[in-house]
Amino acid sequence: MRANSGDGIISLPPTEGFPMITRLGETAVLITFSHTISWDIGVRAREAARCIRSRGLDSITDVVPAYTTLAVYFDGTRTSLTSVVNAIAPIIGDHREQHETPSALIEIPVRYEGPDVAEVARLTGLTPEEVIERHSSRTYRAYACGFAPGFAYLGDLDASLVLPRRATPRVRVPPGSVAIAGAQTAVYPLQTPGGWHLLGTAEVAMFDTNRETPSLIRAGDTVRFIRID
Amino acid sequence: MIVVTAAPPFATIQDLGRTGFRDSGVPVSGVADRESALALNALLGNDPNAAMIEWALAGGALQFDRPCTVAIGGADVACTLDGRAVAPYTPLAASAGSQLVVSQIIRGRFLLVAIRGGIDVPVVLGSRSTLMSASIGGLDGRRLKTGDVLPIGNAHAASTQPAHSIEIRGRDLASGDAIHVMRGPQADMFDERTWTTFLNAELVVSRASDRTGYRLEGVEIQHSASAASPSEPTCLGAIQVPNGGAPIVIMNDGPTIGGYPKIAVIRAAHFSRFAQLAPGDRVRFALDEPLN
Repeated sequence: MRANSGDGIISLPPTEGFPMITRLGETAVLITFSHTISWDIGVRAREAARCIRSRGLDSITDVVPAYTTLAVYFDGTRTSLTSVVNAIAPIIGDHREQHETPSALIEIPVRYEGPDVAEVARLTGLTPEEVIERHSSRTYRAYACGFAPGFAYLGDLDASLVLPRRATPRVRVPPGSVAIAGAQTAVYPLQTPGGWHLLGTAEVAMFDTNRETPSLIRAGDTVRFIRID
Repeated sequence: MIVVTAAPPFATIQDLGRTGFRDSGVPVSGVADRESALALNALLGNDPNAAMIEWALAGGALQFDRPCTVAIGGADVACTLDGRAVAPYTPLAASAGSQLVVSQIIRGRFLLVAIRGGIDVPVVLGSRSTLMSASIGGLDGRRLKTGDVLPIGNAHAASTQPAHSIEIRGRDLASGDAIHVMRGPQADMFDERTWTTFLNAELVVSRASDRTGYRLEGVEIQHSASAASPSEPTCLGAIQVPNGGAPIVIMNDGPTIGGYPKIAVIRAAHFSRFAQLAPGDRVRFALDEPLN
């Protein structure tokens, strides 16, 4: 069915090339910096996020960078899509004040006693000790935070550990599970279903509402797993 | 206080939701039927953001320990206060010991039970809304159970006197009127034929639907997006399409980022009516703007 009334709908003119500003919803704007994931594109999205936040615009409620995009959510009773686009367009186009801010280093103590260590070893042709060694010796960076509260996508995994997801996802993955899938690794902050391979358990809360930022890891942070026994 | 004397299968405390923490992966949460919640709080003279009970699936009962003013709205239900049938969107005077009994949800998904003064659970990350996946907000971050005691906020702090009645826009949950959408960020990945299929289809709300997302059955939609599209931020009411699969609408407790292309987004003014669709209900979509 096609409706006729376009009341209240604001369309944005198509933009050539990147960054591309599009409408995400009635009260959100999506800025796309590339269609291909790279660390440098993530840096641009996060720097644009920082610049937008630093303007302190009250009507903007959330600024969310992801792999190659940035979403800006606003209060539709206080501002409009057009005003938000006009406010952020010069910011994202201006590289002068954009630079990579030093990221926080997050160290996460992990007990490598996960139920999938042996299976990952079998699938990769490594020994269980090699699996743990290769996972814990690497320094990771957080490409994005989201999906679930406190969930951060970390990369890149050692190439020898890259595996597809499990054929059958677990109905319940225990909170704190340290897991791998594809070229990524993550810690499940909360008990959820999940299809990643579980290597261990993090001995720190990944999501805590008593912290100023409830997520332990934010997009752009550097992360190391510290093996404990 | 309100005592939950017979908990329904699924009820949580919700207000208008949580903003400012999406970058930590925290969804907006809040009442799914915002339109009804705003009407009830206005009716009771509450702050628009006062917390209430969002109650789903089946009946249950509450008891009040003091005189208070309550009102119900949202889903159509069979409900009594001390044995007398009550009407929705009408202030009800409860006495100490009064029992509110819901015997059946007749149509719709979410009954809202609001009280003058609001439900006074602690504010977590700026909201009283329950987010069960993170065990935060509401009553210990969980659904209500029999025996729970809910604190009532200060009715004197409520902004105005309760109204005798309130005019809410007539909303017929049985009407079957189309839910209006606008083009989503990946609308162009769906060709005209696919759009026609999507807009002509009568979809059925799946049993696999909850506050995180509603899955819609009855149509398989193909698109040109690669399986490896980088995950990007989502929004409330976004209609995601897994390739060849059933569309999934992002609801209040849904993921903050996701990788499926979004063909369309439900208009804010239609979201509350969509949220009231129960498993098995049928829905059609209408596009509020030109296809291209």
